[in-house]
Amino acid sequence: MLGRLDLSKADNEESEETAPAKAWVMGIAGWLIPGMGHLLQGKWGRALLLGGAVWACFILGFLMGGNLFQYDGSLLRLPPMIGNLGTGLLYIVPWFMGIGFSDDVQRAALPTFEFGWTFLIVAGLLNYLSMLDAFDIAAGRKS
Amino acid sequence: MRHFLVMTAFAGFAAIVFGIVAKDSKRDQVIYGLKVFAEFLVIGLVLGWILYFLPF
Repeated sequence: MLGRLDLSKADNEESEETAPAKAWVMGIAGWLIPGMGHLLQGKWGRALLLGGAVWACFILGFLMGGNLFQYDGSLLRLPPMIGNLGTGLLYIVPWFMGIGFSDDVQRAALPTFEFGWTFLIVAGLLNYLSMLDAFDIAAGRKS
Repeated sequence: MRHFLVMTAFAGFAAIVFGIVAKDSKRDQVIYGLKVFAEFLVIGLVLGWILYFLPF
């Protein structure tokens, strides 16, 4: 009797462990490339809408003259950097290339400068939500 | 006008993501998305008017 109970417990634990492994992959894919976590699961509509919203928000932010944030020792730059980091490769690639991080006078003088960096942060925050959605779908918590 | 358009775009992106992530059925997603969109616009406009009357 006890042996049976233990076996069923082991089965449950195994099935619980296999789902999160895939879920983590989908979550990371969704973080790295907005929309990819849903796309890999065949959720085309969600991928288009969620990924499209994040990409559009990010591109509009750049077009409006916004800049990305990076930690330079000042704690005030850490929260916006965490927000920016949510866009995954959209943040990492410009970081390696050194593009979009300067907040020079010409950019700051643009009337849409404040909107720009706000859009860039919001794109990252929205992608965190999208990433969690992809994770939940892969884990079987959502349909 | 530019500010309003930017606010509308922001509300639209947020509403799309909030609607899809928060609800399960398509009908609920659309209704919740429209609700969030309207709330962002109305609250933004109300805050704009309140701030207009503040002297600082």
